[in-house]
Amino acid sequence: MKRTVDVSIPLGPVHPCFKEPARVKCETRGEYVISAEVELGYMKKGIERIMRGRPWQEVMFLAERVCGICSVIHNMVFIEALEEISGITVPERAALLRVAVNELDRMQSHLLANFSYCYTIEHETLAMYLLDVRERVLDQLERITGARVTCAYIVPGGVRFDLRGEDAARLRAGLAGIEEEVARYTGMFEGGPLIATRSRGIGILSREAAIESYVVGPVARASGMPEIDRRLEHPTYRKLGFSPVSRPEGDNHARVMVRFQEVMASIGIIRACLDRLPPGPVRGGGIPGAGEIAYHGEAPRGELSYYLKTDEAGRVVDISIQTPSIMNIEAACHYLIRGVTSLADVTSTFVSVDPCIACTER
Amino acid sequence: MVVPLLYYAREFARLEWITKFFTVRTAPLVTPPHFRDFPEPTGVKCRHALFCMMACPAPGAIEVVKVEGGWEPRIHKGHCIRCGLCVEACPNGVLRSGRVLEAIHEDRSALSFSFRIDVNLETCMGCGNCAVACPVNKTIDAQMSYGGKAGTDQLLLMVSEGKSRVLHVEKCTGCKTCEQHCPNEAIRVARLLEAVQQPQGEDPCSS
Repeated sequence: MKRTVDVSIPLGPVHPCFKEPARVKCETRGEYVISAEVELGYMKKGIERIMRGRPWQEVMFLAERVCGICSVIHNMVFIEALEEISGITVPERAALLRVAVNELDRMQSHLLANFSYCYTIEHETLAMYLLDVRERVLDQLERITGARVTCAYIVPGGVRFDLRGEDAARLRAGLAGIEEEVARYTGMFEGGPLIATRSRGIGILSREAAIESYVVGPVARASGMPEIDRRLEHPTYRKLGFSPVSRPEGDNHARVMVRFQEVMASIGIIRACLDRLPPGPVRGGGIPGAGEIAYHGEAPRGELSYYLKTDEAGRVVDISIQTPSIMNIEAACHYLIRGVTSLADVTSTFVSVDPCIACTER
Repeated sequence: MVVPLLYYAREFARLEWITKFFTVRTAPLVTPPHFRDFPEPTGVKCRHALFCMMACPAPGAIEVVKVEGGWEPRIHKGHCIRCGLCVEACPNGVLRSGRVLEAIHEDRSALSFSFRIDVNLETCMGCGNCAVACPVNKTIDAQMSYGGKAGTDQLLLMVSEGKSRVLHVEKCTGCKTCEQHCPNEAIRVARLLEAVQQPQGEDPCSS
């Protein structure tokens, strides 16, 4: 049967609202979007091919460069997979420092995602406020690891740099300032009447649809699925008594609010880490050996999986990475954007799932 | 209409907003002391330990070159990814980059190296290129560079019974010269890196 389609509108690959190139093709009837499809493949790196045959100390840095925004979690999952293979244990202090740095990274990633959502709904003031807070988080990250984005902090058997006492005090002071600011901006977002008009009830993903479409991360948690969080299985997070946040609404507003709440939860986790930090070494040593494993971790955007196979000398024989964004991007096109009543909401709905094209295409 | 006006009035009446409005400045464009920049020489004399080259994850980012009166590490900034592994690996403290990396001396943390040589006996032809090219072999037995006839069993690599054999792997410096000279890709060197830390109170110089 021939479908009545007024016009098929392509958005992207070069579009002022998208951080990275992707093309969303929308079939519309008037302003109503009947269906949408995404076209990827504008920035393929082939990084898994580059990784094969290299020793772990090179792959560690390549893994960080899979994604420019959530680099610490790639480092963490790769190194923890290596440790799992070769039975290396991590000192308590190093495990807590890893979690603290990972949560700082999650905070800056979520703040950037919310920045780009606010920017897309044309609330540039709030967007720039959020970028300003993100800079402060990056400053904290730089003070601990020496770099803003590609931190290279986690190595097998521990972390590279210890946290000084004065740095811990500065981190606590910085977190207090960040918490105050983020609480204020969360209030602005939650109570803003114009923001609500552009976000509430748009791009609804019900819990059933979320299960059907295998969404991960904050998108799933905004549809009332807190159990999707992989941090619940991580030993250090379990020790810290971590509990994920979730919201039942499933619209654009809920997705952004879940990220705001997770930023606040991350601040709590970092404080808990700093409180429990025992004295002791941060490196336990250990040489990676041969083995094969599939390991999962919770990236800011959802579940991140590494399949890894190494030889006796710690060289990577085979590696395959599955990043969370691909699930969320596909779900955004086939569940969220379909049925959006105005073409103006397509970009904001697409951006609300935080699509990271660099991870997706690797 | 009244609610947004009140909202904005409350927003602008904050002391923080007013002070920022009058004293706004661009953030100073200075590099903070903890930033991990490109490695710079500290002035300590390089003793040609070559651990920086062994640790470097970016191919061709650092090399130790011979200059007048000694050796000198040279950073190629187009290749360097500023990971700081060379600074950590150097046993003599020739390089520095940022305060964060200087703290490793306090922590007594370091990178320790060991090397592993794998010879694939199925593809090894026993040509002996590896044993002749090996710079460690040349220092042990100078004859190796001319005729390739081994006069001692103290060598790192030697061809015996038609295959290349590794005799003393602990002498390997991880330079991968043998790997580059193998016509058959039969020999592979792995640099095993271990991140270690001395426990507090123990003297790092004693080991």
